[in-house]
Amino acid sequence: MNILKKIQPLVGLASLIVLAVGLWYVYQAPADFQQGGAVRILYIHVPSAKMALASYIFLTVASVLYLWKRHEGADILAEAAASVGAAFTVVTLASGSIWGKPMWGTWWAWDARLTSMLVLLILYKGLMVLRHSLDDPVKGARATAILAIVGAVDLPIIHYSVVWWRTLHQPPSLAAGANADIHISGPLLPPLLILSAAFILMGLYMVTVKARQIEASRHLDALEAARLHHDD
Amino acid sequence: MLKAIYRIAWKDVAGDLRRRATLSSMLFFAISVLVVFQAAFEPDRKEAVRLLPGLLWATSLFTTLVGLGRVFQAEEEDGAFEGLLLASVPRGVIFFGKWMGNLLLTLLVEFLILPLTMVLFNVDGWAQIPTILGILAMGTLGLTGLGTLLAAMTRGARSRETLLALLLLPLTAPLLISGVQAVAATLTQEGEIGPWLKLLVIFDVVYLAMTPWAFTWLVEE
Repeated sequence: MNILKKIQPLVGLASLIVLAVGLWYVYQAPADFQQGGAVRILYIHVPSAKMALASYIFLTVASVLYLWKRHEGADILAEAAASVGAAFTVVTLASGSIWGKPMWGTWWAWDARLTSMLVLLILYKGLMVLRHSLDDPVKGARATAILAIVGAVDLPIIHYSVVWWRTLHQPPSLAAGANADIHISGPLLPPLLILSAAFILMGLYMVTVKARQIEASRHLDALEAARLHHDD
Repeated sequence: MLKAIYRIAWKDVAGDLRRRATLSSMLFFAISVLVVFQAAFEPDRKEAVRLLPGLLWATSLFTTLVGLGRVFQAEEEDGAFEGLLLASVPRGVIFFGKWMGNLLLTLLVEFLILPLTMVLFNVDGWAQIPTILGILAMGTLGLTGLGTLLAAMTRGARSRETLLALLLLPLTAPLLISGVQAVAATLTQEGEIGPWLKLLVIFDVVYLAMTPWAFTWLVEE
């Protein structure tokens, strides 16, 4: 985990710079023809939604690695990714809600992607709670890793089912082809791409800080256990 | 292998039928949930038809949670869980046994609740009962499979019942959605039932394939 200590200031600085540049572009970008100034919320909303999902992928890979190689580092990264992912999910839901009020006329709609995001948030919370409600940390780590994998298999089914159930949300616009009804063009695209990069760096930075904190806290627990053992 | 699954499942079901511990508490819990729904919504006849699918599934889900809290109760004491793991069959088979035992008990309760719900809420769907029972069975297969895995995961956890609910409810969202839609389509004879049944089958197949492996990893020393 020494590498984390080395990269932390670098990643932190890089994310700060890219974030500043991206926000400058957002400030410069023209207001949307229909959405007005509120469109700027999407520059935060879309990257954090992507990070909310990316964190889960990271978490799954770390969990598989932990179960396979039994390396504690992978478990620490998985634990860190869970809280970071939960944070991005909250930002996604909150920014979407703030954008939805003027655009859709409602804070919340039980639409496919909103519902999936809410379920994802509960799943992140479940992962965080499960780990700490088992007394044996190794058992907790293994149970959490398995739950993460079960969740990774379940999330696409959840998404698929809610898409069938409800669809009000606009179709994805970044990856859509030329024949899509909604697309992002011209001066609106650069800030979105720059901010996406900034959010990736920011996510990495957050995972680094959180992982180092978890590592220190586990080390303290081990010292405390050793001291108690010594006193006996 | 089938014999081992049967023996493990039957030890749980027979034990419970004799003590009537889980079965009766699940049944009365379900009835009290129905009373709560009636008091909360007071549906008239027309509303009751619309509400029944959701009512049925919500009641089944809560009832399943009660049952899941006790899946490993018999193995809680005297190292019985470790004893069970020592059985000379693959761990996945042991898991299937526990799963089937839980499935049987849950299905039994659900089959009792269905007519009861129709009587209590004045819904005339007697002709559809076989289809609805089939849908309930398909949903409950996946539900108890995932549930049994989560119950094994939370063995010995603090505030376990709350944790089980927190973990099970989001993961079973597809089941709940497709189950409710399928029952609604059957009851009102409107809308398509096919896609929802397909979704239930996908969920069941995924969990049939995945949970025994997950259990094997979970209990590995």
